[in-house]
Amino acid sequence: MQGNQKLPLADKCGFFEIRFESIGGLGAHLAGQIFAIAAVLKLGFNGAHFSSYGSEKKGSPIKSYVRLCPADRELRNSSPVERPDLVAVFHEALLRMPSTCAGLKPSGALILNTGKTWEQLASYPLPVPARVYAVDAIGIAVEEKSRVNTAMLGAAARALSFLNPDVLLEAIVEILGGKHPAAVDSNRRTFRRGFEEARLVWESQSAGPSSGDGVAARPAPVYGYLTAPPGGLIVNPGNTILNDLSASRQGFLPVFDPALCNHCGLCDLVCPDYCLVWGSASEPITRRLEGIDYQYCKGCLRCVDSCPTGALKKEREQDGFAQAHRTPLFPGKIGNRSGG
Amino acid sequence: MPREAFKLSQSPATEPAAKQVVDFRSGNEMAALAAKQINFHVMGYYPITPSTEVAENLDAMWVEGAHGIRMIPADGEHSAAGICYGASTGGGRVLNVTSSQGLLYSLEQLPVQSGTRFPMVLNVATRSVSGPLDIRGDHSDIYYALNAGWIVLLASDPQSVYDMNFIAVRIGEHPKVRLPVLVAYDGFFTSHQKRRVRLFDDPAAVRNFVGEPHFPYHALDPKRPLTIGPYMNDPDLINNKFQLHLAFEQARFALAAIFEEYGALSGRRYDLLEWYRMEDAEAALVLLNSAAETAKDVVDEMRSRGIKVGLLSPRVLRPFPHEGFRRALKNVRAVLIADRADSYGSGGGNLAHEVKSALKDDPDNRSVCLSRIYGLGGRDFYKEDAEAFFTEALEAAAKGKAIIPFAYHGVTSGTPGKVPAQVLPPLVEGDFPGGMAKVEQDEATGRLRVELRPFWKMTEVPSRIAPGHGACPGCGVFPALHQFFRVIEGNVVVLFQTGCAMVVTTGYPFSAHRITYLHNLFQNGAATLSGLVEMYHERVRRGELAGTENFTFVMVSGDGGMDIGMGSAIGAANRNHRMILIEYDNQGYMNTGAQLSYATPMGHKTSTSNVGPKAAGKMFHHKDTAQIFAATHIPYVFTAVEGYPEDLMKKAAKAQWYARREGMAYGKILSYCPLNWRSPDDLGASVLQAAVDSCFFPLYEVEKGKTVITYNPEMVDRRIPAAEFLAKMGKTRHLTQASAAEVLSAFEAEVDRRWKRLKAMHESPVL
Repeated sequence: MQGNQKLPLADKCGFFEIRFESIGGLGAHLAGQIFAIAAVLKLGFNGAHFSSYGSEKKGSPIKSYVRLCPADRELRNSSPVERPDLVAVFHEALLRMPSTCAGLKPSGALILNTGKTWEQLASYPLPVPARVYAVDAIGIAVEEKSRVNTAMLGAAARALSFLNPDVLLEAIVEILGGKHPAAVDSNRRTFRRGFEEARLVWESQSAGPSSGDGVAARPAPVYGYLTAPPGGLIVNPGNTILNDLSASRQGFLPVFDPALCNHCGLCDLVCPDYCLVWGSASEPITRRLEGIDYQYCKGCLRCVDSCPTGALKKEREQDGFAQAHRTPLFPGKIGNRSGG
Repeated sequence: MPREAFKLSQSPATEPAAKQVVDFRSGNEMAALAAKQINFHVMGYYPITPSTEVAENLDAMWVEGAHGIRMIPADGEHSAAGICYGASTGGGRVLNVTSSQGLLYSLEQLPVQSGTRFPMVLNVATRSVSGPLDIRGDHSDIYYALNAGWIVLLASDPQSVYDMNFIAVRIGEHPKVRLPVLVAYDGFFTSHQKRRVRLFDDPAAVRNFVGEPHFPYHALDPKRPLTIGPYMNDPDLINNKFQLHLAFEQARFALAAIFEEYGALSGRRYDLLEWYRMEDAEAALVLLNSAAETAKDVVDEMRSRGIKVGLLSPRVLRPFPHEGFRRALKNVRAVLIADRADSYGSGGGNLAHEVKSALKDDPDNRSVCLSRIYGLGGRDFYKEDAEAFFTEALEAAAKGKAIIPFAYHGVTSGTPGKVPAQVLPPLVEGDFPGGMAKVEQDEATGRLRVELRPFWKMTEVPSRIAPGHGACPGCGVFPALHQFFRVIEGNVVVLFQTGCAMVVTTGYPFSAHRITYLHNLFQNGAATLSGLVEMYHERVRRGELAGTENFTFVMVSGDGGMDIGMGSAIGAANRNHRMILIEYDNQGYMNTGAQLSYATPMGHKTSTSNVGPKAAGKMFHHKDTAQIFAATHIPYVFTAVEGYPEDLMKKAAKAQWYARREGMAYGKILSYCPLNWRSPDDLGASVLQAAVDSCFFPLYEVEKGKTVITYNPEMVDRRIPAAEFLAKMGKTRHLTQASAAEVLSAFEAEVDRRWKRLKAMHESPVL
């Protein structure tokens, strides 16, 4: 028991708070749980763990929270973590939203799942906390046939000096071993690599406030009681086309080669996301597949499985590829997230 | 894991009598762990977010032999309540767990349980009631139960969920009480938040505390026949209800004694009403459950600044602690009572009305009362919200009056001028080229013949569901719907029952449905759509609508909706309304985390049919919904999978033909769920083909009473053993191991029996 261990960055109320920003399916909820179990049952802190909840879907944004305090302090607050000491971002696509890192303390640490350098990340609205770590968690996960969550936990152990990586690994082995014994070895390797390959890409020289020192934005309704149609009616249906589902992809996407396509239409019958773009052509086959709207493609690769000619191929998603090769289904109707 | 005892800051001076261990658990886990230790005889339940994990945890423990509770997955909450009622008349301990609509659906059973005086325990992970549907936590569900004659205990954190379950058993079975007991804890905030907790490590201590079940009257004593639930009018019923009232008065005293006893056992002391730093308080806040815990931190901070505030939080809502409120608020100048549910039109939440009512009985009380509604639909309660409430209460205390007696806290008026704008033009009849399926009636046989255009040609048909929906990658529901609607012509109105397809297409303020869509809860979709169908035809008859709209009405349900909504669907079929009902059968309640449905085949692993020493997955055979609908003698019944798209689309065209002319058509479409079938995202087609080729899911239709197998894998030499299909999915891989041989052969035998029966029907001219 190491219950008297000091939480280095605890706030004035004595809490040390963590937020994992992720997409359903990457395992952030489980990562938060493992982290909290290690901190509470192995290191002797008091703590809480919970996640933002919707329905049980892969691919939708999820936040997972850990709140820690000294063993003898009561923990009663059940509201979301707004001023975290650590933010770990499980998917680079989330960095486009300022809310992802909102509220991170200037003294805090940020962990990003990316292979990029600090300079390459300049286009994102990132805060400038005390330390920023980058780890290519998705690359590690693909190579180790595991998930990004244990790589991110490895990086977290690197970023947090009070957290003994062996203790965290012990919790991973215990928890995964109970449910998925076959996954233990790959996750052990994934964790170690996350720890070892996490790079410190930024360290603040001064202790002053940073640009990230804002209060986290709370989810606000798009319409209010004076502007929303009554009874919850949606009067502009079809507006889901404004959504960007790119972040649902987990490392792979279908790539279309028109030269190999015979326009049979089989792919169109199996695509769950209706993101194949068809246009008119001359006789005898008066329709032709023109491309893929990657804004809606979740990377399930069912189209690749259905393709009899090899015109659709599975490839590892490279940064910027989808944007450059996207065939828009609804030209001029993107980028507005407000529901229309 | 090391589990050493720790000392809570509020630990009593005396050490608790029972040995305990430290753990890290959520409210749902704590309810399950308490149930395990109590070892209830029977649990009847139906999954509903956010309470479902209790049954999941208990099933996972049961399959390992950790308890002996007979767990019965009902076909809906109304049935679950019935199972529990029946079980409770049998002289044993009974548990149920629910939330929101589940509580409302079982509501009529609650006064039956209490009025006939059979104790049981019902955990409610509180959640907002529909509609619109909201899965997150508020108190609008339990407020409906306040008049049901149940004791209502409140649990504000995971630890107290555990504690209150033991207390619930004791108070319910108390000889002078004998009432059912509801334990309410906040959905998600408490049900899903893991906290450091303590668990009894001493089975004897638990057994001693709850005692042996004692049921002075029960239905299973042949020597003493009883009539349970007579027909009782006036002048008798009022006396039955007065007995109920007296039992609640007894419960007040009994609870105080049980709390005392439990405190000595556990070191955790409860009271009917918790007072937090109420000494010399000038302003007080009244909150229920998790929000009260959050507000305690604010009380501490304000007290440290010398501001005299305190907090009151009932631990028991029925019997209501009115005496406690009167004493606690005697000298408090202003009290703000915040409700997480409104009693619409009454000018306050239920808690506010009851606190005011309690104070009215003290003629000397001068407390100013403020009523506020907050946190509806799970809107988070932050420390700042508690601060705002205290500021308002202190202001009222200073002024000696309430400037605004009742208000909503945390509503948004919206940005003027920012109203929903059209993103896509409406899809109208002219947008659909039509003719993708040519349907002709064979004059000799009366059966329909369908010819399809090529698949590429069908890409001219715009999708009635827009992209950008939030289904999981590889979801099989959307290809199935896509194929179905490709050949459906003209105007369509859809109704989706609650389920995956509903949730992922209509997350406010977004909707993927480019045609008119409506939702109803899945007890009732078919009845709802049948009402709309008849309204259409009646308005045409009256000349209010031209009749040229020629709507096709399509209801879309999951297999879960065909469990809980079976009665409504069969009713609609018996009435033979001109509509289509399609069921996407993904073999479980996938929207709530993959619990078993009645369509789940034997042996399949779900979160409520686990695999372990006591069982290898689900223990009874899959529901044959298509045959149930065939027995209603509607014009057209079919089965289909997206792995055989031509077959599916021909059947869709036939369904529309019949729904436009003759009456109801029903189709069951087996639908791939990579997440919960534990298969790769991209293998939907081949897994579904294997389901068909193994004859687990035969493709057939029942057209005007005549059964025709539309694809027979044996005729084309494609029949495969069931094990080959099962090996393709993670949820069934255990069935291919030697230890599950018995279950596998039972599954295979049932598949074969049904297939042979179907072939006989196919061959018969009359079946």
